[in-house]
Amino acid sequence: MLESMMKTKLFAWVDRRTGAEAIIKSQLTEYPAPKNLNWMWVFGAIAMTVLVLQIVTGIFLAMYYKPSAMETLGGFSVAFDSVERIMRDVNFGWLLRYTHAVGASMFFLVVYIHMGRGMYYGSYKEPRELIWIMGVVILLIMQGAAFFGYLLPWGQMSFWGATVITNLFGAIPVLGDLIGQLLMGGFSVGDPTLNRFFSLHYLFPLLLVAIVAGHIHALHTVHSNNPDGIDLDQSDPNNVVMFHPYVTMKDAFAVSLFMMLYMYIVFFNPQMGGYFIEVDNYVPANNLQTPAHIAPVWYLTPWYTILRSFEVKLVGIAAMGASLAILFVFPFLDRSKVRSARYRPMYRGMVILFFIDVIVLGYCGHTATTETLKVVGQIATFYYFAFFIGLLFLPKIEKTKPLPEGV
Amino acid sequence: MTEQTDHSRRNFLYVAAGGLGAVAGGAAAIPFLGSMLPAADTLAAATTEFDVSTVVEGQLVVIVWQGKPVFITNRSDEMLTRLDGHDDNLKDVNSEAIEAVQAEWMDTPEKRKTRSINPRYLVVVASCTHLGCIPLYKPSAGRAEWGDSVPSDWVGGWHCPCHGSFYDLSARVINGSPAPHNLHVMPYKFISDSVVLIG
Repeated sequence: MLESMMKTKLFAWVDRRTGAEAIIKSQLTEYPAPKNLNWMWVFGAIAMTVLVLQIVTGIFLAMYYKPSAMETLGGFSVAFDSVERIMRDVNFGWLLRYTHAVGASMFFLVVYIHMGRGMYYGSYKEPRELIWIMGVVILLIMQGAAFFGYLLPWGQMSFWGATVITNLFGAIPVLGDLIGQLLMGGFSVGDPTLNRFFSLHYLFPLLLVAIVAGHIHALHTVHSNNPDGIDLDQSDPNNVVMFHPYVTMKDAFAVSLFMMLYMYIVFFNPQMGGYFIEVDNYVPANNLQTPAHIAPVWYLTPWYTILRSFEVKLVGIAAMGASLAILFVFPFLDRSKVRSARYRPMYRGMVILFFIDVIVLGYCGHTATTETLKVVGQIATFYYFAFFIGLLFLPKIEKTKPLPEGV
Repeated sequence: MTEQTDHSRRNFLYVAAGGLGAVAGGAAAIPFLGSMLPAADTLAAATTEFDVSTVVEGQLVVIVWQGKPVFITNRSDEMLTRLDGHDDNLKDVNSEAIEAVQAEWMDTPEKRKTRSINPRYLVVVASCTHLGCIPLYKPSAGRAEWGDSVPSDWVGGWHCPCHGSFYDLSARVINGSPAPHNLHVMPYKFISDSVVLIG
C-alpha cells in the first residue's frame, strides 16, 4: 500500500521538495529491526499512542475546563463545577475525561514496563546511554504534567496533594521560600496556583513531544537493542527484518490489544477502586480541612515512600531527589560489557528483585503508614539505592554466560 | 521468503485491516466532534418571559433569549398603517421563503402582514439575516430624522449598520438589501393578556 502510494505523481512532487522518500526508506521501509525482538518491545509504540490520546483528549477537555478557584453560587468553585459540567452536560464529556484521567495511569504503567524492559535487557548500555537519559527526562516531565494536571479538578486531593508537594520544594534550604512562592503565586495554594498549573499542564506535553522525537531519533541512529543484548550486523538479513511492515504490524496489533484493556477500564471501572481517580477528589477543595488519609496516585507512591522513610525532613527530600537523579547516571554505574540479563545471572536476580522492590515501595506509599510498613518501606528504600551502588562492583564478581553469535 | 508471498491474500488482509482501522478511526471521531456541539445545559437554556405592557407605544425593547437579542416593539395604529403600500418593494411579502420566518399562527393574510399574534407587538430575533448584526431601529418615515442613511421613500423600520440592509416595521426585508430573508420569528405565546413566553 505504501509502495503504490510512493509511485504516484503527487508523491514525486512532494518528494522533490522534502526528500520524503529518503525519510520513509531510512526510518520505515528500509530501517532494520532485530528479528528476535519479543513482545516487551511494543511498549514504546503503546506509550506514543497514549501520549497522542492524552494530548487530543486534553485539547478537547480544555474547551470546557475553566481554571478558576472563584467560588460559585453553589458553594463550590468554577474549576470544580466545570469538571462536573464536563461529566454531566457536555456531550461525551464523561468519555473524554475518563479517557484522559485513566490515560494518565495507563501512560505511567506502559512507561514503567518500557523502562523495566530497558533495564532487564540492558538497553541503557553503550551506545544507548543518551536514549535512556532522554527517557528519564521524559519520565520527569510526565511526573510534572501529572502533578499539574491533578490540581485542575480542584478537589480535596488536588488541593492537599499540591500543598504537600509545593511545601516539599519549600523545604529546600535558602531558596525554599522563593521556589514555593514561584510555584504557588502566593503564600498557599490558591487561584493563581490553579491558573499557572493549567498553563504548565498544557505546556509539558508539548515538551514531551519534542523530547520523544529526540528519543526516537537517537534510537534510530544506534538502532534497537534486542533480547540477547548483542551487537548485530544491521545489513545482514539473517539478523534483521524491515521496520515496516514487520514491526509496524506487530506494534499495531499490540496497540489494539492495549486499547481493549484501556477502554475496558474507561467504560467499566474508570476509578479503579480509587487507584486511578481518588474518591476524595470528588469533595471540593477546602483549605481549612485536610482529608483523613492522603496519598499520591499510585504512579508516584514509590517515591513518596522513599520520602517518608527518613525522620529528618530534609534527608527525606534529598533521598527522593536522589532516587530520581540516580536514574540519570545508571548507564555509567553499570560497567559490565554484557547487556542482557539473560547472560548475567547475578544481575538478573538483582534487577528482578529491584522490580519487586519498586512495587513494594509503591504499596507502602499508597497505604496508611503503620510501624511494620514503615520498616518495610525503609528496607525497600535501602535496596533501591543498594541496587544501583551494587552495580559498581558487580562486574568484578559476576560470571557472565557466553553470548550467542547471532540471532 | 518474498518469493512465497501470496499477494492476493496479503492485499485482502491489507484492505480488511485498513478498512477496519478507518471505521474505528471514524467512530473515535464521533465523541471528539460530538463534544464540541452545545452541551446539555446550553440546550436546556430556559425560556424567557416578558411583560409587553411595559413597552410604551412606538418603543423598541431588546431582551435576551438563549443568548440572542430579541426585538419587541409596540406599534401604534399609525405605524401599522405604514405596513401597507410597499409590497412591491419587499423580497418576501408574506414570509413564505423559509421555515424560520414564519409560524403556525400566521394563518391569515393580516397576520402574514403584521407578523405578530397581537398586531401591536412584534416579537422577532434581532439578528440581521445577512451576517448577524443587530439592525438599528428607525421607526419614523422619510429622511427627516435619519438623513440619507435611509432611502428617500423610507417607510420606517430597521436599518442594519453593517452592510446596509433595510427592514420595514414588520421586519420584512426591503428590496436592494444584502439580507436574504425577513428577520426570523421564534416560538412564543401569550400566557396572559400582556406576558409573552419566548422559547
